[in-house]
Amino acid sequence: MIEVLHPGIHTSIQDMGRMGFQSLGVPIGGAMDQNAMHWANYLLNNPKQCAVLEMSFKGPKLLFHEATTIALTGADMQAKVNGVALQNHKAIQIKENTILEFGIAQQGKRTYLAIAGGIQSPVVLGSRSQYKDITPQTVIGKTKLIPFNKTQINGQKGARLSFTASDWDKKLIPAYKGPDFHLLPKKAQTQLKNNAFTISVKNSRMAYVLEEKLIHQIPSIWTVPVLPGTVQCTPNGTLIVLMRDAQTTGGYPRVLQISDEGLNLLAQKSTKADFQFKIGSV
Amino acid sequence: MENGPPFRFFITHPKVVLLEWDTEPDDALLNRLIEFRKAIKKEFVEVIQITQGYCSLMLFHDKAINTIDRYQTRLNLLYSSLVSFSKKNSKLWRIPVCYSEAWAPDLNALSKSLNMTTDTLIEKHVSVRYRVQFIGFLPGFLYLSGLPKILECARKDQPVSHVAKGSVAIGGKQTGIYPVNSPGGWHLIGKTPYPLFKPQEENPCFAQAGDSIQFEPITRKNYWELEERIKNKTFKIRPE
Repeated sequence: MIEVLHPGIHTSIQDMGRMGFQSLGVPIGGAMDQNAMHWANYLLNNPKQCAVLEMSFKGPKLLFHEATTIALTGADMQAKVNGVALQNHKAIQIKENTILEFGIAQQGKRTYLAIAGGIQSPVVLGSRSQYKDITPQTVIGKTKLIPFNKTQINGQKGARLSFTASDWDKKLIPAYKGPDFHLLPKKAQTQLKNNAFTISVKNSRMAYVLEEKLIHQIPSIWTVPVLPGTVQCTPNGTLIVLMRDAQTTGGYPRVLQISDEGLNLLAQKSTKADFQFKIGSV
Repeated sequence: MENGPPFRFFITHPKVVLLEWDTEPDDALLNRLIEFRKAIKKEFVEVIQITQGYCSLMLFHDKAINTIDRYQTRLNLLYSSLVSFSKKNSKLWRIPVCYSEAWAPDLNALSKSLNMTTDTLIEKHVSVRYRVQFIGFLPGFLYLSGLPKILECARKDQPVSHVAKGSVAIGGKQTGIYPVNSPGGWHLIGKTPYPLFKPQEENPCFAQAGDSIQFEPITRKNYWELEERIKNKTFKIRPE
């Protein structure tokens, strides 16, 4: 068990998401930066679908009741064990009754903590990813216990990833034209292709609202299916980038679709970060 | 055999294809979408999930689609081979709703603005069978068509931050049931004790696209009794 001494700002259990129930209105969910999550599991020889902890901006303070092996990927959150700094991107042995403490993300926004054998929280509709009204809890709360398999201590011996955090400074987010892109006036299309956009304070696991607006007269549309990465344009021109916890349907025109890689990159960007869309073909 | 209205084939993501019909939604299109969806599920093993809108289907694949041309041809062939568009497999669900003031904070104001008594409003609301177009927005939220025209109304100017799970509401040309606690901008006219979404069950939502819904008025006493029976798992609605 891991005991949560302090939950951090937004810490949740995530995996590859909940596929197969969108037709019932259930969001896909899953880790915001799937790439970072995969590497964390990889370092421990975990199967890909193992659940991890996703921490945003400021991480939690955790007490490990039993010994295990962990790996940290994503943003550097100044992890410390008994005051000693830990490195990201390698397998780390944790002794029993150890306190693991995180600070504020230095570069990037989200950090992933994988545990040997994966987190053993309840599986609901094929996934452990926490989501309101689906899983018993929406985020990790104070004093809560997070179960893991204490018998399974593995990890890739001596494995390390060389990783350049500069990936997160990348300003180009790969995207494709959305089904309603062609309805935008030429000027707005050019704006999407050439201008920089800024992430507003309204950003969450569900959606990032952008600060810059487009001028357009696209008529409203009948409610349509959407997916993570869909960029919607509201009647007043506000752009809404749907993220992993996005609803399954939406009523705004879809001007772009961000690629999987683009979504992973955006997941590591915070409020006020700017970027450009790199629009290519599917 | 009639030719169906043409659809647009759009690759929205390497693993996701969108099919869209440029038409107003109606019963005939819904029947066609349901049949097409069923046929795709059967014939295209690579499709792992299909979501639906009023005039669209979205096909999710387990990996990137490589042979787009062949894929599109197969899809067109399948579409033109569809023959039956009956409602034969759709079910009718009667959902108990209590329209008592305690559960209907907006019933009075809405009936006034629609120029009718609350009794007439309730009578009209329970008089028709609504059709489930598709499920979206929230887990278990049914998009229902068929609201009587005289019940159409503007949505609230400001959505309220908390609408209780089970609330039955009218907004614009639509009526619906909030499956979970959520913010909402529709007028609340009643409440059902019956859960629309049960994440712990293998089939979390009893209804599906194409089914019909009829609301059945119940008293407050009925409401409490039903709530108790639902809690004890001695009540389950059955389709007709």
